[in-house]
Order: sequence, then structure tokens, then C-alpha cells
Amino acid sequence: MAEKTNEKTALKEVVAVRYITKDNAKFEKNGDFIRMTASLPDDEGTTEEKTYDRIFLHRAFPFDFPYAYISVLDGDSKEIGIIQEIDALGEENAAMLRAELDRKYYTPVIRQILSVKDKFGYSYWKVRTDEGEIEFTCRDTFSSLLKVGGTRIFVNDIDGNRFEIPDLEALDRRSFKKIELFL
Amino acid sequence: MAETQWYFDASAPGTVPPELLPVLEEKGVPADHILLCAKSDLNREMVRSDCWVLATDEDLIVLSGSVILTRRPDATIFTTKNRLERKFELLTWDVFERKTLSDFRVEEQIASARFTAKTADGDWLLIANLSNTYKSDFFALARFLGQLASDGKITPDEHAGHSRRDDMFCPKCGSRYIDEERKLCPKCMDKSRIIARTGQFVLKYKLQIVLLILMLLLTSALGVLSPYISSGFFYDQVLEKTGRFYGRVLMVLMIIIGTRLLSTVFNLFHSLVTTTIAANVIYDLKKVIFSSIERLSLSFFTNRQTGGLMTQVTRDANTIYWFFCDGVPYYLVNIVQIAVMLVIMLLMNPLLTLLSVLTVPLLFFSMRFLFGRMDKHHIKRWTRSRQMNAILSDILSGMRVVKAFSKEKDETVRFDRSSRALAAAETDASTFGTVAFPTVNLLVYVSNLVVLGVGGWMVIQGKMTYGILLTFTAYMNMILSPLNAFVNMVYEFTDSLNAMSRLCEIMDAKPDVAEAENPVHLEECSGRVEFRNVDFSYEKNRKVIDNVSFSVEPGEALGIVGHTGAGKSTLANLLIRLYDASAGKILIDGVDVKDLAYDDLRNNVAIVSQETYLFMGTILDNIRYAKPEATEEEVIEAAKIAGAHDFIIQLPDAYSTMIGFGHKDLSGGERQRVSIARAILRNPKILILDEATAAMDTETERKIQTALERLSVGRTTISIAHRLSTLRDADKLIVIENGKVPEAGTHQELIAKKGIYYNLYRLQMEAMKNIGIEE
Repeated sequence: MAEKTNEKTALKEVVAVRYITKDNAKFEKNGDFIRMTASLPDDEGTTEEKTYDRIFLHRAFPFDFPYAYISVLDGDSKEIGIIQEIDALGEENAAMLRAELDRKYYTPVIRQILSVKDKFGYSYWKVRTDEGEIEFTCRDTFSSLLKVGGTRIFVNDIDGNRFEIPDLEALDRRSFKKIELFL
Repeated sequence: MAETQWYFDASAPGTVPPELLPVLEEKGVPADHILLCAKSDLNREMVRSDCWVLATDEDLIVLSGSVILTRRPDATIFTTKNRLERKFELLTWDVFERKTLSDFRVEEQIASARFTAKTADGDWLLIANLSNTYKSDFFALARFLGQLASDGKITPDEHAGHSRRDDMFCPKCGSRYIDEERKLCPKCMDKSRIIARTGQFVLKYKLQIVLLILMLLLTSALGVLSPYISSGFFYDQVLEKTGRFYGRVLMVLMIIIGTRLLSTVFNLFHSLVTTTIAANVIYDLKKVIFSSIERLSLSFFTNRQTGGLMTQVTRDANTIYWFFCDGVPYYLVNIVQIAVMLVIMLLMNPLLTLLSVLTVPLLFFSMRFLFGRMDKHHIKRWTRSRQMNAILSDILSGMRVVKAFSKEKDETVRFDRSSRALAAAETDASTFGTVAFPTVNLLVYVSNLVVLGVGGWMVIQGKMTYGILLTFTAYMNMILSPLNAFVNMVYEFTDSLNAMSRLCEIMDAKPDVAEAENPVHLEECSGRVEFRNVDFSYEKNRKVIDNVSFSVEPGEALGIVGHTGAGKSTLANLLIRLYDASAGKILIDGVDVKDLAYDDLRNNVAIVSQETYLFMGTILDNIRYAKPEATEEEVIEAAKIAGAHDFIIQLPDAYSTMIGFGHKDLSGGERQRVSIARAILRNPKILILDEATAAMDTETERKIQTALERLSVGRTTISIAHRLSTLRDADKLIVIENGKVPEAGTHQELIAKKGIYYNLYRLQMEAMKNIGIEE
């Protein structure tokens, strides 16, 4: 397909997505947050260097690319630009941005399911995660489980907390048996 | 472990958990100086730990550490209660000067939140991190901190003595409520009270129930008798030369036929009684449930899925009926029958009775185990079939798109995958069933054989007659047959109990919006509307409408402008009391809408909203919905004003065209015009148009606008629109943004102000210019 598209009809000719790269942006710590200074073209096409004291990061494809295609937003939730690949920004920047993303997308990883009790359509869970033992409750278990790809599961609890099972097949047999019912 | 959790108490926001007291003492902060105390579960580095945010007169203290349970020093081996002590091990202690901070905010993230504030030099400061579990606590905390900053004091929530803990956990057993709204703990619900309440529906038919149980008892008495006649009596008294009735085979046959006939008659009678009560009880139940549901306010329906609600109603009515009319009598009679048979068996031969009863517990538990396993297979099959049906309806309703992108093959693959998964689950379930149940039957068979063997030996020894042995085996099979039902009894009873508690809950639910006890009647409504400092939130602590005040004089036209989601429609919903304001007053002719009689309110205010719902029926029925006594002339006039007449008259059946489910489909604009006609027919003093013309083309909109203008003479109109041209004739405009009203005035005034309205106007004008239209 790609070869067939001639230059004039390619989508990027029609719309300009602002990409943030190592060359047009600088990142630094600002207290607990991240400050960015970037020279990006505005809607009229003029490029001006601007400093954003606090930037917000948002994954465009959170399940497939946790550290790529990151939308950078300002305090009013307006997009400043997109980072295509975090690691291309240099080691120091990448580490800082990765840490910020990990904090925003806080999701304990379930390593073992200790018990799941199903009562009247609600389920009470007890799991062992990287963060220790956690208990939580799900309303309508079936729709609380979000299946991503073949074997990856996200569990959403009654409060809106999220837990991840990165690979169902990597779970021990007893844990798997407990969750299998709901798949 | 509910005990390790601690929740913010909005009625006493300064309560400090006891484990923090030693730490506070050590740091020199007196506990009674704490004004606010909220817990979170993530520290400032996003590591799970026990953290607290405390506010004093001067400072904001953020501490983290972990609560550890240790044995109390004074506990002996005889101490049974409170042997453990909660200790807090402090890790970090940060102090911020509270007065320098402002704009406290809970920033929601994906599955967690940050609690931030602005420092004196305008920088953002991270105060704490929290998981979503504590989010609403921190919304309250932010609100209280705001109060402290502006008024210097805290106004605790009105419902004193009511903490979030009470909302979330069962006070008896400490486990979390499955549903905070329902506050129903499956472990502790008062079962007998619920059964007694729902039982009333069935007890109305006392006579029938007594008849029913009588019939059941008679049938089962005959059931106990017949094996004795056809085997014991027949062999020992008729076929044996020594028997009392030797040779009178015909008589026995007649008796057998007689009992059979009798039991058939009883059975018939039983079914007749059952069918009559069944229909009546289910009808009564559905009526009660439906009328209770209708009484409830709109928020009840938005909290639950409406579609599920109705199927639930039907299913619950059936389950409750089953419990009282089939379940309980069936089990009662069976228990009596089994007891009688056991006594007879014991009298006939105690040893054999013991032998045959010996296998019963074994059978019972093995069956329970198998049913449990079977249940798991069923759940699996059910979830997979739900998944497959979801995919199926997804594909079918998106067929146009599927075909447009020629993706038929891919969709077939997607369907095939889930269909195959379902097939696999079904195979598993059937395989399990075909293997498991014959195994149980084998067990029954073996125990039969043992009895037959031992009994046969006894007959040969002359210790027992052949007839008694036959009677015995017949009874044994009769005892085993209801066993199946008893195994399932537990599940069926919990199911029914849940249905009954739902019924009680629906009957008890109090509408949030209720008519005042002594409502005020409006003789003549002039149409003056006033909003006075109105607040409203759908969710606790998150205001959708924030201190809104405005007024509309009789006959005036008010326009409400704002972005989508700004709260425009909410204002309309508050005026017609689909919801009630949480603070402030809404007045019509100087009377609070909360005090106004429902009839007067609804007669004087009509709304045409963006969701136009037309009921199944003719167009005439739909227009007349609000005023059934309207004449045909009035209907046509209303339709003319609404611009609906022209398209209705084009339809083959004109005003008698059937619309709604399974009938003629009207377009979005047509539906809007019909619902405008419906509102106009009511001839209200106050007319609310909530994006009423959004789905129409510009020309039709213009036409209706002119008609509505004529209508608005002597009438108060409130129009909500984001297309500003719709509002150009409004006497007054208010701009709503984030639940507040930052600007109000006439079109000219707002243009001159060069604020939000000016910007919106300029943007829309530019868009018009771009396509070559100038106004």
C-alpha cells in the first residue's frame, strides 16, 4: 500500500502533526513535575521557543506502545506535540519521562491470584502483586476484565483502580483456574 | 481485611486514627489541633504504603509509613479479644506552610490520582498520590481546604455522624457492600424479615395454598401406600397360600387401579390450583414492582441499566412465585414423605433400613461436589455465549460498515473464533455431565444391590417375606429420587432470597425527588423563573452547577450558551425537577419548585429535549401524549407550528402512521418536530427548548423559529443551543462554563464585553464566512 500512495495524496501532506524531538525540545525537572522548552510551529506556522512549566504526558496507544507515541499536553489539556519514541530523546530525558509515565499509569501487576469469591455477580479478589497483597472488589466480573491481545488482562475494580495480568499463560495453574471462569 | 482500612469522615473531618497518636505526640503536634485528616495508599514516590494528609491551623502535614499489627504487650494467652495492636512506623514527614498554598486539586489519572496545590510563586506542588479508592475522600479534602482558605473554618457535611465507612462496609461483619447504594451484605441480610414481607403476596391466596399442600400431601400419601399394595400386600397376602386374601387377584388389581385414579385426580386438581395462583401472584408482583419503579426519580434509572431492570423484574417475579408456590411446598411434602417412609422401613426391617440409608450421605456429598463442578462449567459456557452474542450483534448492526470496507472475511474469522470457544466450553460441559452422572447412578445401583443381596439372604433364611423385600426396594428408590432436588435446594434458595431482597429494596427505595407534603398550587402562572445560588452535582463532591443565579421575566426569551458538557441541559432538568438542586433555590412565580404541586409544575413547564423519545403508537397518540383530551384541530395546529404537519400529511397513513419499534422510522429532524408539537399542544407558560432544532436543516429550523417566535408571545421561553444563530432573538443570554455563569446580558452587551460569548460568536461567524454566507 505504502508504495502506491504517491507523494501528493499522502496524509502528511494534508495535516501537520507536531513531533517533539531531541533537536526541538529540552526537558528538565521542575520540582515534582517536568518542564519543557520547545520550538514548535504554531497554527499559523511560525516557530517560536516556548517554555511549559508543567507538561502532562498521555499515551496514544497505552497497551501497545507504553513508551512511544506520547502526546505532550499543557495545563489546559491542549496538545503541544507528540513524542514518537521516548528512547530517541537521549538516555537522561528518557529515564525522566518513563518515570513520569509509570506514575501516571500506575497499575499493580498481578503475579498470583490467591482467591476469587463470586457472589451475586460481584467478585471479591485477593491477589499478590508487585506491590504486595491487595484485596479488591469487582462489579460485574465479566465486563470488569479487559482482554488485550490474546493473553493480557486488565482488571478494573469497583473504585476504578486497575490491575494488570501481563500474560495469562505465565500465571501458575491454580491462579489461572480461578480466573479462567470469567474469560 | 476491612479493619486495616480507614476512611475520611466528612461529618467529622478532623478525626485522627488512634495509631497516629504516638507519632503526633513525638512530633509535638497535639491531636486536637488537627482540622482535617485524610488517608491515602500511595506515597509521594508512588509506592504503596499508609499515608496521611493532615491539616492544622498553620501547616499541611504529609506523612507516610506503614501500619503494623503487633501483639499487645499486656496480652496473655487467655486474651481472646484485641490481642493485636496497631502500630504506625513513620518513614517520611513533610510539612508545608498551609497559608502559602492555594487551588487544591485532585488530578485524576488513569487509575490513580494526584493531590496538588499551587504555591505562592505560582508553581505546582505535589502533595500526595492516591489510588482511586481514596479519590472521593480527597475531593472532599480539597473542598474543605478551600473552605479553610476562604472562610478560615470548616463546615462539616450536614449529615453528621455519617462517615464513608458506614457507606461502604457492613457494620455487622465488616465485609464490603457489593453495592454502596443498596447497602446489602449477603452474609448478614435479615432473611426471615424479607421472606415474611414477600410472603404477603402469596398469603393473599391462603385458601388455594392450603388446598395445594393438602393435594400434595394426599398424593404423597398414596405414593407411600402404592408400593406396599402392589408388592408387599400382593405377594404376601394374595399370592401366598397362607395369605388372608389368597387368590383374589382381581380385587388387588382394582385397588391398584383405584389408587392410581385417585392420585391422578389429586394431581390434576393440584395443577389446576397452581396455574390459577401462579398467574395471579406473578401479575401482582409485576404490578407492584413496576409501579414502585416508576415512582422513583430519574437518578435511579441512570444509576442502573434500564434494559436489565425490566428483565430483572420479570425474572424476579417468577423466582419469588416459584419459591412460595413450588419450592417450599415441594420440599415440605417431600420431607414429610421421606420421614413417613423411613418410619415404615424401620418398622419393617431396621437392619436393612440402616444399610440403605448408609449410602445417602455419601450420595448427597458426591452429588453436591458434582453440581458445584457442573456449575463452573455452566458459568464458563454462559460467559462465552455472552461474548459470542456480543460479537454477533456488533457485526450485524455494523453490517453497512463491514460491507463498505469489504471486511466480511475478517468478521467471519472473528465470529468463528468466539463460536469455537463456545463450542469447546459446551463440549466440556456435556462431557462432564455424561461422565459424572452415570457415576452417581452407579453408586445408587451398588447400594441397591447391597440391600437386594442382604435382603435376599434374609428371605432365604426365612427372616423376611419376599413381599416386604420388594416393598423395601421400592421405598428405597423413592427416598433417593428427591435427593437431586435437595442438593440443588441451597442454590435455589439463595437465588430466591436475592430476588426477594431486590423486591424489598425496590419497594423501599425513596425517590430523591418527591412532591412536597402540602404542595403549593398555582392558580395563574405568569411564567417568571428565577435561579438563586443553585448548586448541583450528580456525583458527590463534583459540582456540575456551581452557584448559578439568573432570572427570566414573564414573556421573556432567555438563551443559554455554552460548550457541550458545560451544564446547560442540567439547568433545564433542574427546572422541571428531574433532579433537585443540592443548594440554592429555583423559583417559578416566586414559589420554590420543591414546594410546587407536580401537576402545576408539569402543566406550566414543557420541555423539548435533545433526546426525543417517541412511544410505540400512532403519530397522533404521540402528539397527544401530554394532553389526551386535545381535539384533532388542536393537534393539527400544534403540528403546523412545529413544522411537522407538512411531512406527516405526506405519509400514506398521515396522523395514523404507526411509529416506534418495528414500525415506520422517522428521521432525527422529523422526530424533533413531532416532539415539539407534543410540547406545544400542552400550551405551557414556560417552554424549554433544549437543542430542539439541532437535528434539522437550516431552512426547516428557520421556519420553526419564526413559528415559535409567534408562539412565544406571552410565554417564557428558555432556549439552549450551541448554534448561536438559533438564539439571535433572545431577550437575554447567559453564558455557562464549567457550571458557572461568567457572562450574562443581551447580545449587544456581550459582544461589547469581548469575552467568551464574543469569541464563540466570532468563531461561528468566521465559519459562516468561510463557506460564503454573511449575515
